Amino acid sequence: MSDITQLFFDAAALGGIYAMAALGIALIFGVMNLVNFAHGEYIAFCVFALILPSTDAMSVMFLGRAPAIVLIPVILGLGALIAVASEMLVFRHMRNASPVAMMVGSFALGFVIQNTLLALYGGRPKAISLWPDLNMPVELAGASVPVLQLIVILTTLVVVTGLALLLRKTRIGLEMRAAAENFRMARLLGVRANVVITGAFALSGALAAAVALIMATQTGVADVRMGGQIMLVAFIATVIGGLGSLPGAVAAGFLIGAASVVLQAYLPLDARPFRDAFLYTLVIVSLLVRPQGLFVPKSARPRI
Amino acid sequence: MSKLGVFDLSVRYGKVPALNEVSLSIEEGERVFIAGPNGAGKSSLLGAISGAVATSQGRIEMDGDILTGQPPEAIARLGLSMVPEGREIFGALTVQENLRVGTGLRRDRHAVQTDMDEIYSAFPILGERRHAPAGALSGGQQQMLAIGRALMTNPKLMMVDEPSLGLAPKVVDQVYDKLIALQEERGLTLLIVEQSSVRAARVGGRLILMRGGAIVGGGDAADFGDQAALTEAYFGKSGAAEDAEAKA
Repeated sequence: MSDITQLFFDAAALGGIYAMAALGIALIFGVMNLVNFAHGEYIAFCVFALILPSTDAMSVMFLGRAPAIVLIPVILGLGALIAVASEMLVFRHMRNASPVAMMVGSFALGFVIQNTLLALYGGRPKAISLWPDLNMPVELAGASVPVLQLIVILTTLVVVTGLALLLRKTRIGLEMRAAAENFRMARLLGVRANVVITGAFALSGALAAAVALIMATQTGVADVRMGGQIMLVAFIATVIGGLGSLPGAVAAGFLIGAASVVLQAYLPLDARPFRDAFLYTLVIVSLLVRPQGLFVPKSARPRI
Repeated sequence: MSKLGVFDLSVRYGKVPALNEVSLSIEEGERVFIAGPNGAGKSSLLGAISGAVATSQGRIEMDGDILTGQPPEAIARLGLSMVPEGREIFGALTVQENLRVGTGLRRDRHAVQTDMDEIYSAFPILGERRHAPAGALSGGQQQMLAIGRALMTNPKLMMVDEPSLGLAPKVVDQVYDKLIALQEERGLTLLIVEQSSVRAARVGGRLILMRGGAIVGGGDAADFGDQAALTEAYFGKSGAAEDAEAKA
């Protein structure tokens, strides 16, 4: 019984991280058909912003020294800032380019950010100690759950609910949904393209920052390659969820997290090192069965 | 000063010309139909006026403001609204949300609710289904919604691209009845693309005939009600004569 509970918390926490990263990608794809591969580097950027630039193996806290009540909004703001800046400097000038050209542009931007981090901080992964107390386990329903897992699950719920409310109840949310469905028509009705796109990038960047804070606390490591790994899983989640569908991205993020935790727990010991092969086999099966994604937005269905 | 002035306007898609030095002028409160065969440049003209299509030459003015070179959202803010071909309603949004998309540009926020109530009383079916996803409406209802959505921007000039496309004749009658009633109520200026000049003649107004990216004629829509006048305008006595000359 407690094993199942433990598994549930592990799955929900990992899935929550994937879901938030996938949301960041799906938001941008929704408004401008861009798969932003620089998203993972926004995450890495936010993690490295916690520590002072140096190539030493031990990290010295920089922003990470601030109390949580200051640190959290500052890092979220920083994530939003780098995302908005990359839109203004790069993607704004590619709006009329093909989706593939924009995607290649995002790859290039990702490498620029990654190599800048590499130059400033060096290539060795660094130990980082952000809120170490949060990894202390507490007893809950017969399972021993790190406080951080509970925070991750709670944060994901708050973020998803908050985003849903923003999209449903606010003016900018309405404009984003309209723009996601038909940008040209939304503009003909006076919706400002720049406001909507800047808003989407700011939200996406803040989501990347939230993932960064969680990953830094959980793994205790800052690594310039960390963005690529989570980006890959998050991108797969947005595709499985149905590109452009925000609920789909969240659901698929949780699904991948759960599948990954369950495989880790129940695969025969000898097969566990190859867990990812099993995980991605499931991804292939899912795409074979529903190539359009598990949750296709209504707007994507043609209506005659 | 006219409401809308188009001067020597040209549009090309790559090397293919779509509009060739078109000029026209529309007065306040007028109802103008643009008719012509496929590829005549009707939709390109509307696209250029609304800012959705780039122009290669010429100038467009509305109430003295220059529209050429401005993005669609800026032109919408100057008081131009569009009911596009194929309606392009936001299917995943509710009926009410569709109506609200275009109200972000308005200064008179207090009048928004009054306008929405007016649209619901003009199109009762929209009021009944205000919380339903717009994608679930029938074609005719979607056309009504597209008109209502355009009106919610409180436009001075409204352009309607092929309102009868894909609708049963009876539904087209209803759409036009509403359109005309709303125009008279609000003193709107209307520019309508309509394949059928017979329909234009029945509704009444001024007709502009386009062919091959240029304006080839026009006048009182009532004079273009019979098939002979239409055939002549579409295929043209002059056109046939030019062909003969070219062969000779």
